[in-house]
Amino acid sequence: MNELLAEFLRGYTATNEWSAIMPEIMLALLALGLLVSEMFLPKAQHHLIPRIAIWGQVLIGVYAFSCIGGCLTSSGSFFSGMILQTDVSQMMRPFFLLSSILVCYLGRIYLSQQSLAKTEFYHLVLIISAAMMLLVQSSNFVMLFVALETVTVAFYVLVGYCRTSPFSLEGGLKYLILGSLSSAILLFGIVLLYGVAGNPQLPGASPDSLNFQSLQAFIALNQFTGGNLLVNVGAILVVAGICFKIGAVPFQIWVPDVYQGAPTPVTAFLAVASKAAGFIVLLVLVQGPFLALNELLVPVLSFIAAATILFGNIAAVTQRNLKRLMGLSGIAHAGYLLIGVVAVMRGVEWAVYAVIFYLVTYLLASFAVFGVMAITAKADDANQQLDDYANYSRKQPFLSGVLTLGLGSLAGIPPLGGFIAKLFLFVAAYQAGLYGLIAIAILGVVISIYYYFGWIRECYFGVPTSEIVEDTCGQSTVADRTLLGALVAGTVLVGVLPAVLPIIP
Amino acid sequence: MTVGLNAFILVAALLFAIGMVGVILRKNTLVIYMSLELMLNAINLALVAFSRYNNTMDGNLFVFFIITVAAAEVAVGLAIVVALYRRRQTVMVDQLNALSR
Repeated sequence: MNELLAEFLRGYTATNEWSAIMPEIMLALLALGLLVSEMFLPKAQHHLIPRIAIWGQVLIGVYAFSCIGGCLTSSGSFFSGMILQTDVSQMMRPFFLLSSILVCYLGRIYLSQQSLAKTEFYHLVLIISAAMMLLVQSSNFVMLFVALETVTVAFYVLVGYCRTSPFSLEGGLKYLILGSLSSAILLFGIVLLYGVAGNPQLPGASPDSLNFQSLQAFIALNQFTGGNLLVNVGAILVVAGICFKIGAVPFQIWVPDVYQGAPTPVTAFLAVASKAAGFIVLLVLVQGPFLALNELLVPVLSFIAAATILFGNIAAVTQRNLKRLMGLSGIAHAGYLLIGVVAVMRGVEWAVYAVIFYLVTYLLASFAVFGVMAITAKADDANQQLDDYANYSRKQPFLSGVLTLGLGSLAGIPPLGGFIAKLFLFVAAYQAGLYGLIAIAILGVVISIYYYFGWIRECYFGVPTSEIVEDTCGQSTVADRTLLGALVAGTVLVGVLPAVLPIIP
Repeated sequence: MTVGLNAFILVAALLFAIGMVGVILRKNTLVIYMSLELMLNAINLALVAFSRYNNTMDGNLFVFFIITVAAAEVAVGLAIVVALYRRRQTVMVDQLNALSR
């Protein structure tokens, strides 16, 4: 046993591989730097902290993901199999950085309306971003668990961040209980897989049975000789834990409550980055360790995808609270993305890139919508009703234009990005022979057009219940308009010229 | 007399199931936390047992990570419960239903 341990530890000390995770280290340092700068900057200079956070991340992005750092070209296994960098993980790292920059920006808008501690918000967002980058690269269940829990525990704090609001705290508590429950389920699955794959009496058992490659070899060998009940149970439990994080039916109960209670920037972060991380982990698992379990997992995930699409869209139709509406429609988007995952499992390799493409267009459109919501929100952030947007186009013509294009892209209207992304997913599903799922997804899209356009109709043709008053709340600055305009321009550009995103090979 | 691997795994699975039933059925937030801890400790027991019988160290290492993460979760969770109690004067989940309406 001691030789094994020595061998295990030698892997960490033999080579200096820290440069492979330089962006994550820099993000963590920036996060700590923010706390230090809050201690030492004079009170009058505290407005600089959000700027340091945002521009620091931009600099990290420029350094790490351009030719200067050369990170995008590096790939391979690091830290004795803890981290595996592939082209997918390399695409997702800038994705998480971009989303955390946008969340920091929305957080600045949100925090300017509240009297709350400010620095810790940016600190936690940066930590989550770094942990998500590690999560999508992890190639060992220990690494996966630690990165996932770093993300989750920091999200508990962020969801309950508005300590003056009972809604935010209640959302935080619900997320905490259900999130911990899902982590425990995931862990139990991991333990079963570890125990079975390390059993020396079984063929193909490996001393390093938490590693994805060893596990893949073991499961493939055992499926060949008839399968193993504990492996199946473990795999189902792990997939259930991940489905919890992406908000798929039947693990979706937390989504509407938590999305409503959380501060708007955090809702956006949960909707986009957390979901994206969950999907990439799911893709890594079904293409790696669980590759041989396709026969078991394809029917399960197909059923979950269909139920998720139908539930999300039908529940959203009658919803008047906009944050719950975004949560429920987010469930539906998770369902469309699951179709892509099933297509990958049925052997359509390029569906991975269709999923990533969908996530990017979802990021652009969602942040446009959430940006408008953050600017428009009054002090009670949890109660944003559809009625607040009656005649919005006369008060804020530019913002309601942004909202229209963002919602149109989420609904999948050509020529916006969301349309092309859905098209790619459905073509992949067609190639995989998933005709039933495509029919359900198209039905879901039709339903979603109803409620997205209900919101747009409220903006342009809503009858005001009272006289229109010029309220000081909800005014946008030039910087807000530039950023939202850029997001919308990106959505249109991706829709017209999908080739601008170097994702689909 | 030596205790076999199956006995350990049976106890761990039972503890896990008891914890899960507790999380689902109990109404008091603090009892729910205790049930969550029970689930995590069941996992720790299974990990140590597997680690011993498979003769690998990874499981023992993993236990330390789980203990640390559980401590972090409880620290955050109790902070949220205290803040929520100050606002709402209750920790019972069936009365914490301001959302969902």
